[in-house]
Order: sequence, then C-alpha cells, then structure tokens
Amino acid sequence: MHAHEVEILLVEDNPQDAELTLRALKQRNLANQVFTCHDGAEALEFFFGETPHGLREIGVVPKVILLDLKLPKVDGLEVLRRLKEDDRTKTIPVVVLTSSREEPDIARAYRLGANSYIVKPVDFEAFARAVSDVGLYWLLLNHPPQ
Amino acid sequence: MPWRVWNWSIERKLPLLFTGLLAIVVAGFTWAAYRQVRGSAVSGANERLQRVTSQLVDLLGASVRQLVTNARGVAESPAVRSYLRAPFAGVRADALTALQPPPATTQMVVATELWDANGTRALTTRADLPPLPRETAQSLLRSLDTTATPTIGAIRHLGGSDTLVYPVIAPVRDRGELLGYVVRLRRISGSSQGGRQLAQLIGSDAALYFGNADGDLWTDFSAVVPGPPVDVGDAHGLIEYRREGGARYLAAPARIPATPWMVLVEFPRAPVLAPAHTFLLRMGTVGLLLVVTGAAATWGLSRRMRALQAQVAARTHELQESETRLRGVTETAYDAIIAASAEGNITYWNPGAARMFGYAPNEVLGQPLTMLMPERYRDPHRQGIARYVATRDARVVGRTVELEGRRKDGREFPLELSLATADTPAGIAFTGIIRDITERKRIEAALRETNAELESFSYSVSHDLRAPLRAIHGFARILIEDHRAQLDPEAQRLLGVIDDNTKRMGQLIDDLLAFSRLGRKELDTTRVDMTELVRGIADGLRRAEEDRALEVAVDRLPPARGDRDLLRQAITNLLQNAVKFTRRRPAARIEVGTRADGGETVYFVKDNGAGFDQRYAGKLFGVFQRLHRLDEFEGTGVGLAIVQRIIHRHGGRVWAEGRVDEGATFYFTLPGAPGA
Repeated sequence: MHAHEVEILLVEDNPQDAELTLRALKQRNLANQVFTCHDGAEALEFFFGETPHGLREIGVVPKVILLDLKLPKVDGLEVLRRLKEDDRTKTIPVVVLTSSREEPDIARAYRLGANSYIVKPVDFEAFARAVSDVGLYWLLLNHPPQ
Repeated sequence: MPWRVWNWSIERKLPLLFTGLLAIVVAGFTWAAYRQVRGSAVSGANERLQRVTSQLVDLLGASVRQLVTNARGVAESPAVRSYLRAPFAGVRADALTALQPPPATTQMVVATELWDANGTRALTTRADLPPLPRETAQSLLRSLDTTATPTIGAIRHLGGSDTLVYPVIAPVRDRGELLGYVVRLRRISGSSQGGRQLAQLIGSDAALYFGNADGDLWTDFSAVVPGPPVDVGDAHGLIEYRREGGARYLAAPARIPATPWMVLVEFPRAPVLAPAHTFLLRMGTVGLLLVVTGAAATWGLSRRMRALQAQVAARTHELQESETRLRGVTETAYDAIIAASAEGNITYWNPGAARMFGYAPNEVLGQPLTMLMPERYRDPHRQGIARYVATRDARVVGRTVELEGRRKDGREFPLELSLATADTPAGIAFTGIIRDITERKRIEAALRETNAELESFSYSVSHDLRAPLRAIHGFARILIEDHRAQLDPEAQRLLGVIDDNTKRMGQLIDDLLAFSRLGRKELDTTRVDMTELVRGIADGLRRAEEDRALEVAVDRLPPARGDRDLLRQAITNLLQNAVKFTRRRPAARIEVGTRADGGETVYFVKDNGAGFDQRYAGKLFGVFQRLHRLDEFEGTGVGLAIVQRIIHRHGGRVWAEGRVDEGATFYFTLPGAPGA
C-alpha cells in the first residue's frame, strides 16, 4: 500500500473499534485505501514527521480523516488543532468519531474546525451505519476544494 | 407623712407656685384698688359734707344776724331806756309793748326781759317764768362780750322743762352809759323736720345736729340728743368716730360765727363705703375667679406637661430598648458590622469586625475605610463614595458584592459586603455588613475541583466503558453474521442474549451520563409556551406509535419560565412513560392539563395505563428504580429520575398518584411561572 493511495485516514487507538470501523467501511467497499494510525503522535507523524514509517510524502492527502478524540500520547483535539493550523492539511475534512458525548468536546472540536462529529454508539448496526455513511459521504459525494 | 412641698413633683409644685403668685398679685391689686376707691368715696363724702356744713353755717349766721338786729332794735327803744332809768309804772306799759316780739316771730320767742346792768331782771313779758339766779345771769353776761354789741348765748333748758332756749342779749345804752340789757329767750325750732329735710338733701342717712361749742348740749332741733363721743370744738374737716353700739360715723363739725354754737352733719360710714365694699367684693370675686381659673389652667397645663413627660419617658425607654436590642445584635453578630460617615470614616466597629480585621475599635474609629482594603480598591472606593454622595448613583449600595479585604497583618481575604445607607441629620451614613467568605471560597474551589473530577469521570465512563461494550456487541454481531452456519441454534440464542444485554448496558450508560449532565448544566431560563412544547412532543410520539390506538389530549397550558430544553426532556420522559405503560390498553388515552391549587399551577400527565401500587410511589423517582419487570416494560429506571431532577432544578415539586391497572397521574409545578 502506498501512501498516495490513502483515501481514508483512521486515527484510532482501540484495535477493536478500528477493526469494527474497517469492517463497516468494507461492507460499503470503502476499506481499500484506509490507513490506520494508533495514536495522536502517529497521526502527526503521518503528515509532518520525518518518515518513521516512510509514509510521509508531500502531496499525499487523504480524502477524509476519521479522528478519535481520546488518544494516547497526543490527544485527538491536539491533532485536530495541528491539522487545521497547517495550510497543507487544513482543507482535509475531519470527522470526529468518538464515544464521548461530553459537550465541551463537541464545542471544542467544532471550534478547531472539525467538519463533522459522530458519537460511536454501542449498537454495532448503528455504529456501522454511521461510519459507512460518513465514509461514503466524504469520499463520494463531497468535493474537496481544488 | 411629712409635708414636704419641695419633694413634690414639678407637676404639683408648678401649679401651686403659680396659684400662690397669682393670688398674691390679685390680692395686692384688689387691695390697692379698694384703697383708692374707698379714698375717693370718703373724699367725695367729705367734700359734700363740708359744703353742706358751710351752707348751714352761712344760713344760721344770717339768721343769727337777723335776731341780733331785732334785739338791737328793742334795745334802742326810748320806752326801754326810760324804764331802765326810772322804772315807773307809767312807762312800764310802753316798755312792755316795746319788748313784744314782731308778730311773725311770736311763736319762737319764749320771753323778752329787761335786765339792769347787774343782771337783775327788771321787767319781763312772762312774769310766770322765774328769773335766772343772779350768779348765773352775771356769769352769762361775763361770758359774753355784750358791752358793745348784741350777742347770743349758749343753749340751755328753760327752767327744768324740755324746752330748749337760747338768749339773744343786746345792751341798752344811753349816750354811752350802760343802762341794762334786753334779753330775749328764743326757743329752738320745735320740729326736727328742717334738719331731716336737710339731711335728705345731703343723703346717706345724714343727721344734722346743733349744739353748744363746749359740747355740753346737742340737739337735733327737737330734742336733746347725745353728742359726738369726741371733742369736736377744735375739729376741722372730716372726723370719724364710733358711737355707743359700735356703729361708725363720719361727721363734719363747724362753728357758727358770732355764737357759742356748732353744727354737726353726721352720717354712718357704711353707706359711704358701701360702693368701695361692693367694689372690693366684686374685685375679690373676679380675683378669686382669676386665681381659680389660673390654678385650673396651670394644673391642666402641668398635667399635659406630665403626660408629655411620660410620653417622652416612654419613647426614650422604647428607644433605649430598641438600641439595646440592636446593640445586642451588632455586638454578638459573627459578621463584621461597620458604619461610616459620608467622608468614608469609620464611626462604628463591632466585635465581629475586630475579630475579622484584627483592629481594636480605638485603632479604627475615625479612620478612613480604605485601611481595610487592599491598595487596588482604594481609589475606586473613594470615587464610589464621592459619586454616591453627589448623585445617589448606587453601584454597591443596596446590593451584596464580593470583594477582598485586608487584615491588620496585611493578609488579604475574600469577603462579601452588603452596604446600606441612611440619611441622617449629619449626612449620609453607610452601614456595611461584612462576611468573611474565606471558607466558602475554599469550599467553592473544592466543589469546582470535585465537579471537574466528576466531569472527567463521566468522560471516562462514557468513553472507556462504551468501547469494550461496543467491542462485545460488535464481535457478537460479527459472529452471528459471518459464522451463522457453524453455530447451532442454542449458540445463536446465547449470542442474541449477549447482543441484547450489551445494547441495554449502552442505554444504561447513556442514561446515567444524561442524568449526571443535568446536575451540571446551567439553566437557560426563558418564557416557555407549554402548550406548544407539549403538543410538539405529543405529535412526535403519536407519529412513532402510528399503529396504536393512542389518544393524547393536550389542554391549553399556562406558560412557564424555565430552561426550554430541560423542560422538553422532562415532558418527553413523562409522555414516553405514559405511552409505554398504556401499550397493553386497546384504547390508550393520555391527558395533559393543569389545575390551580392555592394560587399555584399544577401541571399533570394522566394515563389509563398499567398504573402502580401507591405504596411504592416514593420509589418512582429514584435512579434505576423500577416498579415493573423488564419483560413487562423495558427501561433503565432513569427517565423519572431525570424528570425529578429537572423539576427540582426549577424549584418545583413532582409527585405521582396511581393504582395498579387503573392508570397513573404525574404532577409537577414550576414556580416563577408568569400569569397565564
């Protein structure tokens, strides 16, 4: 898999959630170009780092980022802030995908420029529907600025 | 009990003193006026008496001159002279004729006699009367200067009779030689009528007396009367004396010139002084009235004064009591109570203030309030006071504000200040009640910390508990979906149970978090149109239950004040509850309305569902409390707990009534609702 093929960047520390997310995307045939980062530091590395995974290439831009908020090392809100501060990454749509219903998080995420916010339900069907809907929307229907 | 006037109260002393003074003044004035009136009455009487007396003297004088002239006429008669030279029988008849008085006066003349120069009677017209004894006659002649001119003698009784007579004596001369005397005895006018008439003229019951100047005989012109008890011979003007029997008289005596006689006009003093006495009586009465009135007025005044005094005393007492009470409150108050003048200087400092700031009263009284503040508050404080005094624009006055204070040792501490002002005669006075809120601030900080922890805990619960659940549920689903063929029906059923329970656990966590959020959310209070709100919710629920025979009747509801979102949540929960528990009714009916209860609006949601046992009504609103088995009616037992929390946060009450299988009614109130 080459970085330039990445269409969805999933930032998720919980492997089960990651697996479920990928499964949901797969059911809609959206999982082919998904890359998963397992913490905030890794996500930042993906965009700005000195190639620990050899993944960073200038001009590689995912079509959507699914970002969990509660992450080890660097939390999701910090990742969001850094992405939206950088001219190269600030136009990438970010969908905040988390268990938290806490309002301060929602408000802060929107303030930092999140494009959408989805609370992961416990119910798998609902979860799968939400994830795949978001993926579909951002990948197929939304046209990013050129 | 001893009579101690000076120990009396002023209320008794004052009228006494005043009455005494008034009595003295009135008595003095009355007496002086009386003396004057009496004096003028007496002097009037005197004047009248003198005039009358002098007229009488003139009258009698004229009468006497006439008598003397008559006597002289007789003395110059030739027949008389002849007879005295040679008392021959031949001239006797002529001499007798000459001695006869003029016809008009016959009545008044008792006898006319001729005496020789030695006083021996030579001839008389009344031979029946005995001659005067020789010595008496000579003494009479001696007492009178009769040698040159006729004269008049003193009054005496004729013989031993009651008749009063007086002699008019004229010398008989011939060429200078004294031959003898014509002595004519005249009687005193036989009636006192003249005297009485005279007295009536004078008035005042006056009496006219006539007598010898030596006082040996007095007459009222008809009879001998007792003379005045004093020697009046040398008296001039008015004299006053007391007669036997005690009556007092005023009298004016006067000598009649050329006679040894006097007249005396006398009248009782009483009638003269009667006007003065009447005056005195009237003055006395008026004076007495004055004194009594004065005394009464003073007494009244004094009583009024006393009442006023009592009133003042009572007020003072009340004031003292109130001050004592107030002092008790301020002295024992735990809060600092500080008063200050319009200039911002401390005028009162209670023990609470001393405790709080560390200054003793003598260190702060009269000092500016700014010493109690950190530096940064001093200028705003001065400007605030100046502005308030000038414009009454209150920014702190009448409110409670939180500030920092500065203790004596320089430490700052948070305080709560309630400032009041009062307009006093000395200007505006400020009174501040200050509470040290160090402890409260500490607790608030601790509470904030606890809240933050709770928030973080909720976050963890939300995030960390849900993730494994999601995994359990997700992978159980995957097992069912991807590996159905390898699973026997029992394994599939068991996976279904896992599926159900993870969903339920997720719901419980969501509800619990929602409930916990309610406690922290700030109320956003606005006017809420309850009719619209409830109808909106009811419509949504009806749409969700289209396949059921469900009637939701919403009356017109009065508007409320509250947080619209929270109220929507509470009413949604109540209606969902009603919808849920009427599920087994062929014709479910839910009614939302209000009733007035003692001025309070009570909203209610009534259903005809499963109801509940009233004995468990208290448990309805507890978190995770359920009165039905899960296989009868699903639920987590949080919905009504949320309702209760929302209503309580609005200051309202919520309660429920129900019977098993006969429906339930939930009631709630929302204080502060504006009128419908």
